[in-house]
Amino acid sequence: MNDREHDAEFAKLLEETRRLPRSIEPPRDLWPDIAARIGRPPLWQRWSALAAAAVVLLVVGWRVLGARHPGWEVTRVDGAPRIGRTALVGGGTGTLRVGEAIVTDDSSRAEVQVGVIGRVEVLPGSELRLVAARPDAHRLALARGTIYAEVTAPPRLFVVETPSATAVDLGCAYTLAVDSTGASRLHVTAGYVELQGSGRRSIVPLGAIAVTRRGGGGPGTPYVDDAPAELRRALTAFDFERGGAAAVRTVLRTARAEDAVTLWHLVSRVEPPLRAAVYDRLVALVPPPTGEGGGTSRAAALALDTTTLDRYWQRIRRIQWRREILKGIREIDPRTGLAK
Amino acid sequence: MPDLTELVRRAQHGDEGAFRDLYREHVGRIYALCLRLTGDAAAAEERTQDAFIRAWERLRTFRGESAFATWLHRLAVNVVLMERRGSGRRERRVAPASDDPVYEQAATPPAVPPGEGLDLEQAIAALPAGAREVFVLFDVEGYSHEEIARMCGIAVGTSKAQLFRARRLLREMLER
Repeated sequence: MNDREHDAEFAKLLEETRRLPRSIEPPRDLWPDIAARIGRPPLWQRWSALAAAAVVLLVVGWRVLGARHPGWEVTRVDGAPRIGRTALVGGGTGTLRVGEAIVTDDSSRAEVQVGVIGRVEVLPGSELRLVAARPDAHRLALARGTIYAEVTAPPRLFVVETPSATAVDLGCAYTLAVDSTGASRLHVTAGYVELQGSGRRSIVPLGAIAVTRRGGGGPGTPYVDDAPAELRRALTAFDFERGGAAAVRTVLRTARAEDAVTLWHLVSRVEPPLRAAVYDRLVALVPPPTGEGGGTSRAAALALDTTTLDRYWQRIRRIQWRREILKGIREIDPRTGLAK
Repeated sequence: MPDLTELVRRAQHGDEGAFRDLYREHVGRIYALCLRLTGDAAAAEERTQDAFIRAWERLRTFRGESAFATWLHRLAVNVVLMERRGSGRRERRVAPASDDPVYEQAATPPAVPPGEGLDLEQAIAALPAGAREVFVLFDVEGYSHEEIARMCGIAVGTSKAQLFRARRLLREMLER
């Protein structure tokens, strides 16, 4: 068979791949096993009872155990991560207790079980300290390096501090990196994260990024991960380099409907003289919810009325969510969130 | 049978019968996905069960912003990927873009007698885990590299490299 025949046959193979049956019945009925496992009420119905039990256990536990430190299980993934001076080798596991740090070198990785609410992967070159491990507060501090976190708890139970900001989980998965200067970069891959610092906050949704610099006055303005390079540079100038009005004008010029997350944050961050320009550009790209575009609502938005801005945010948030979740499945109109 | 929306609503209120009907409606699609992602019939059964149990537990978070089938499908992909990431088989996880000899060795091309066509399902199952996952998600299920990267926790470039690797291995099987 010559090359051309091979190519043709391979193309045919790929075509056959796309025509593979979408449905295959399992060789046996799986339902009885599933039914046995879901015989209990679903997790959300057990939540109240679990929460109540957890509170009781917490109170009793603290009284009985006194000063004993709780901890989370750590599993070595690669290399020889350390907890304090103890290296985890082989198939090693250990316990990370409050006040202790796990440290990975250039070839080490580890996984931390965050109580019962999630897990954190500690990538090479990281130092991660356990600050609090209570049912109502799961708090870590990332001094340097990179972590990947997946959390399934209700919002605000899982928090990661960095030298320049604090990431508050709102039910999500994300990658958080801290470099040697203490600057951080947050990339959200599911749900939402609130980034706080210096009295400012950024809400970073699925598919968006926010950076923060030490002493930079709080978290930077979030942007979607496919934002134009020129817009990103202008945001950096605005957030950290005193770029002022010129930087904002560049953002407005380069922004697409997909960048509504950025513009929404800018509405409340720019100086009052620029606010109308930012808001009008946002409205032009992504129309506000019905009834929000009138003069009164515009005035309310420009006065930074919380309810008005929050309603607008819910619309932008939903569009961004649909855009990300349906990427490659359906083409979504970034102005409306509806399938084209 | 009531329509899917009604079944979902009832299941969200704890109606196990409604959930069983949803299972019957979707199990073939989910099993096919799990079978191709794992390359192993026994593992596919387990992951299919896990996916439906997870779906039952998280039904309340389904808000109808996408089709239930889409939500369930995505959830099943996550179940399979999470299980592999957490199962200690990380040495076979998607490698950084460079070639990984161990990774290549994991591929055991099926023996195809001369003159006989390649069994595509068998060939996909024989791919290394990371390459198989990307191949199935991209070429069979139609996800984009960006989505795959997010779901697998890898870079977009790595996803593309794994797809290239999977196709190359399939081509090699074809040429045997």
